[in-house]
Amino acid sequence: MSRTDYPWKRTARSLRGIIFDVILLMILIVVLVPLVFMISASFMESKEVLTMPYRWIPSAFHWENYAQAIQGNDQKYYYARNIFNSLLVAITVTLSNCLFAAMTGFGLAKYRFFGRKIVLLLVMATMMIPFETIMIPLYMLVNNFGWQDSYMGLIMPFLVNAFGIFMMRQYLLTFPEDLLDAARIDGLNELAIFIRVVIPNSIPAMTALGILTFRSQWDSMLWPLLITQSEEMKTIPLYIVKFTTEKYTNEGALMAAAVIASIPLFIVFFSLAKYFIQSSSVFSGSKG
Amino acid sequence: MRSGIEKKKARWGWFFVLPAIAYFSIFSFYPIANAFHTSLYRWNLLSLNPPRFVWFENYLRLFQSEVFWNSVKATAIFTVGTFVSLLIGSLALSILIFSRKRFRSFFQMALYSPAVLSTVVAATIWLLILDPRGLGNTWMNALMGTSGKDYQWFANPDMSRISTILIYFWKYIGHFTILFIAGLSSIPNTILEAATIDGAGSWKKYWRITFPLLKPTVVLVCVLSLIQCMKSFSTQYLFVQSGAPKAPIDVLTLNIYNTAIRDHQIGRASAISVILFLTLILFSWAQLKLGRSEEVSFQ
Repeated sequence: MSRTDYPWKRTARSLRGIIFDVILLMILIVVLVPLVFMISASFMESKEVLTMPYRWIPSAFHWENYAQAIQGNDQKYYYARNIFNSLLVAITVTLSNCLFAAMTGFGLAKYRFFGRKIVLLLVMATMMIPFETIMIPLYMLVNNFGWQDSYMGLIMPFLVNAFGIFMMRQYLLTFPEDLLDAARIDGLNELAIFIRVVIPNSIPAMTALGILTFRSQWDSMLWPLLITQSEEMKTIPLYIVKFTTEKYTNEGALMAAAVIASIPLFIVFFSLAKYFIQSSSVFSGSKG
Repeated sequence: MRSGIEKKKARWGWFFVLPAIAYFSIFSFYPIANAFHTSLYRWNLLSLNPPRFVWFENYLRLFQSEVFWNSVKATAIFTVGTFVSLLIGSLALSILIFSRKRFRSFFQMALYSPAVLSTVVAATIWLLILDPRGLGNTWMNALMGTSGKDYQWFANPDMSRISTILIYFWKYIGHFTILFIAGLSSIPNTILEAATIDGAGSWKKYWRITFPLLKPTVVLVCVLSLIQCMKSFSTQYLFVQSGAPKAPIDVLTLNIYNTAIRDHQIGRASAISVILFLTLILFSWAQLKLGRSEEVSFQ
């Protein structure tokens, strides 16, 4: 042993450990308090949410807040429709993103063809274009296509993402060539190889990319704000903004709407925590 | 025969990449070119006059416009404020968590959970907490030893800036802590053990070994958070919609949105977009440049 382990030293170390643990626990509580607030307030009457001292456990559980969040102040159930819109848009974009990213990434990683370097350069250039800077021309373009206030308008600009392509290309660069050649000898054509060999072996990378895409779509607010007009076509973030600013909104119902909006992401978070955290260390792409 | 196979494979390569390239030319390259082009026109969507080519007049006007410079200032304050607090906070937290073997993944997960929320939801929660009657004032009064004081989290211009920064800090602290922990885990233990044998104390180890080796992660986190902050929109938009004064938090993206959608001045909005684009590309370029040196070898 390189260091002498006196008993008092060990005690000092474990004491420091306990202090660190306590500090961490306190930070953790501070970080988690707003989340607890959201959940507890979602069951409270409007008055109780802003009554100090705050009761962290509601005096009575007002489940009707959730009903009210979904019905809305005008009883028209726009939130239900908006949740459906958010799910439809996010799922479609996620699936298409993963598919195109894998396909293009595969083409770039495993085939030598004339112009491949230029294509890769173009993909990287696209990565550099932040969505916020092209949203106005994109908005006019989508209007010209007649996609305003429609699913096409919400979905089309996000179907393919350059960052995803780049990520899948990096991943597939190390894909074993033998596996592809073995499939070729078995008489599979390249498309079949892609579908039956490459995709099943890229599920982890595609899951991480999928989570990344789903989150950025679920969070996306600027584009839906530009492209939708009718209440029926809005997405969750827009509904929450509208609900917040309406004069008669009950604070408890507002937090209920917030909880509902967070459920899908928390389900993904708890079931796929590993991929979730992995996907956050490869950072968001250009769009969204 | 061999070249025949190569040719066939080349054709397949194009088959795989062509859809994406076609897509990008419509939805990325055309719009960015169009943004540059439109920024040279005076173009009002509601006006009956056709768009007029005015060279760089939009830019010149922007540089003389108080509203524009105010936006630049708001964006800069928000970005720097968020970025500095996030960097210091997450670095300190990651070292704290990393020094503990127990509960490490639990702490990571729990700290990360605010990042799971969407931005609008995070902002809405804080909107209620920072309400004049809400928890924010109660806490601040307890902390500052004042009683019954309203800290005006939205109404006061400086406070509304701090509030937006606070929300971002809260939401992303766990995210960046995890990035740092990943960086810390990639530092091989052998180096630290060697330093211990050489008699280095734990502070010395941090300053001399951990921090220098962590530099690539620090650079990455800096650039990412800078870019992310400069594009922020949702929080500021929600604040303004719910009655906070616009000027102190009128960040560039909010300005673009209002100029284009509320004022219908497409040319001017495009000019702001181009300026934002050039700024962001500078940062992305810096990231790529610095990212090269990222693969530190520990051999």
